Amino acid sequence: MHSFDPSRRSLLKLGLVGGAVLATLGGIATLGGDASEAPAPGYLALRAQDLPFLHALIPVILDQVLSAERLPTVLPQVLHDIDLGLASVSPALLAQIRELFDVTAGRLTRGPLTGVWQPWQETPPEQVAAFLVRWRDSSLALLRQGYAALLQMVLMAWYGNPDAWAHCGYPGPPTI
Amino acid sequence: MPVSDPFREGIARGWKTLDGSRLDRDLTLETDVAIIGSGAGGATSAEILAAAGYRVLIIEEGPLKTSSDFRMQESQAYPSLYQEGIGRMSKDSAITILQGRAVGGTTLINWTSCFRTPEPTLQHWAREHGVRGLDAASLAPWFERIEQRLGIEPWRMPPNANNQVIQDGCEALGYQWAVIPRNVRGCWNLGYCGLGCPVNAKQSMLVTSLPAALEKDAELLYLARAERLLLDGERVSGIECLGMDERCVAPTGRRILVRARHYVLAGGGINSPAVLLRSAAPDPYRRTGRRTFLHLANFSAAQFDKTINPFYGAPQSIYSDHFQWQDGATGAMGYKLEVPPLQPAITATLLGGFGRDNALRMEQLPHTNVMLALLRDGFHPQSAEGRVELRADGTPTLDYRMTPYTWDGIRRAFHSMAQIQFAAGARTVLPLHVDGVHATSLAEARAQIDALDLALYRTRLGSAHVMGGCAMGEDPTQAVVDSLGRHHQLENLSVHDGSLFPTSIGANPQLSIYALTAKLASQLAERLRSS
Repeated sequence: MHSFDPSRRSLLKLGLVGGAVLATLGGIATLGGDASEAPAPGYLALRAQDLPFLHALIPVILDQVLSAERLPTVLPQVLHDIDLGLASVSPALLAQIRELFDVTAGRLTRGPLTGVWQPWQETPPEQVAAFLVRWRDSSLALLRQGYAALLQMVLMAWYGNPDAWAHCGYPGPPTI
Repeated sequence: MPVSDPFREGIARGWKTLDGSRLDRDLTLETDVAIIGSGAGGATSAEILAAAGYRVLIIEEGPLKTSSDFRMQESQAYPSLYQEGIGRMSKDSAITILQGRAVGGTTLINWTSCFRTPEPTLQHWAREHGVRGLDAASLAPWFERIEQRLGIEPWRMPPNANNQVIQDGCEALGYQWAVIPRNVRGCWNLGYCGLGCPVNAKQSMLVTSLPAALEKDAELLYLARAERLLLDGERVSGIECLGMDERCVAPTGRRILVRARHYVLAGGGINSPAVLLRSAAPDPYRRTGRRTFLHLANFSAAQFDKTINPFYGAPQSIYSDHFQWQDGATGAMGYKLEVPPLQPAITATLLGGFGRDNALRMEQLPHTNVMLALLRDGFHPQSAEGRVELRADGTPTLDYRMTPYTWDGIRRAFHSMAQIQFAAGARTVLPLHVDGVHATSLAEARAQIDALDLALYRTRLGSAHVMGGCAMGEDPTQAVVDSLGRHHQLENLSVHDGSLFPTSIGANPQLSIYALTAKLASQLAERLRSS
């Protein structure tokens, strides 16, 4: 039960490194930007500074599902579904997600960590996709974790929406 | 055909319920037995203690949602019925943990699979964990009682095509498979058990034990978090509860003080040990929250030419235990094979990838089967295990540490699932891992699986069964409570829920929780009479 376990040790180390990185980056991100914690008008949890990143991210995650014509009508809906989801998670998880957003929005953290140096509004989809792949394959557990969180957030919100169902051949729940 | 809502009708008839989010002042409530949690353990205990004539107060952190609220919509069900708005994860965020949080607990959203505690598990507990009096023979009458109470019997309708894959594959390979017993009556075979049963066919606590307890004058306080036990030497003298807002995210500032003769902790794995930790309950051997297990699950997707429509029909009806005890209870990690229901939102996150990859995978949803392996953690010294910790705000998180022994179980489970899926006629098989690609033959799948980098975040991992953390056993240096569920240090506190199990079960745990807590609650009713 108490025998030496090398993997546990290395995991622990990785965890500590990840935690330290997050703490530091969160701090730097906050220094570099104007981090208001208040939700943006019309939202319960998303803040104004989170929106440009999500506006760039969502069409890339949902590429091939959302046509360019539908995007303007669907995007606000997806944002509101993400918002409702975030408004229902525990305060601890919401704080973590906000740290993640801070890292992607912070002037000092965005470039080094995402590989995207210009504002999200000016970032072409290919570069957003490259950022996702960079996080997916990162050696930093923190960034792999961030990749998983972003995908889960967007995919859950989109496929919970009846507009998404035609694409995946789901007729919706039966009538009772 | 209109469906009735017996719970709302009961409230209209005068059941005593109190919404903790709407208090306009602080309250003090007195009762004989205060029960924290309204899920499998809490509700079963409430029914038995109320029937025995005790005044019972049930305290539930989550909201009250009943059949008329259940619309079979993932976007509504996940935020309202699941712990942390379905955001509960292991501390490192690598494992998604599905656990209910509403009146009725996880019984509201589970997939209705019912198994008696496997005999090798009971034997292992007696041998290794000092559990006394819980052998198969002494538990049999309790299993029978619950099976009758909840209409548990093997599913009689044909399995849906998603479950049929297990049957077909195992049949072709000569592997064991069987039909799953389900706790349903008059089931419509809809497939939405995970989102709250809209027709009250699932015999969850919401339609069985809770109504029975409320009929016997039990009281239900919901949207109230049991923040801490108040301690007076070796006794619990009260529970301090916090009114929660209607989304159950943050306390409202209202407090409810509960005083009782006896206290039953039934918040389930993670939450029950958390109450003890927040209360700084005596724990001289630091056992509280240790040995928490998950039936860690990994997943394998397969595409078929035929239509599967895996979002419809009883979610779980066929299982295989072929790989469960192959190497004995304490050998290489065993696993049970089942399938999850595949409504689109949960499926999109399981299948993973983004852009074109995810779009192509989702496009094939009607032809997709997903199989899962429930790993039997906690039997071997090198097994992964979790430990409940408190965050800065006092809420719990589970530090679950993987081990090479457990990763080995994951890899073998990927192999077993791919083999069964191909044997059932799959066109392609996709291990759910960041590097997974559709394999078109078993040989290709095997090569791929052998090469997978089994690391956190790259391997899709989940859990729907949190067990342990307040382990039972006669040795106080090893266990939090004794084999009767009595806390080793606090004389008027019992634990009646899935946190009692000293290891995982090796089968979906709800029936184990019902039967064990029915026994413990009946014994408690006797003790309270004589004290």
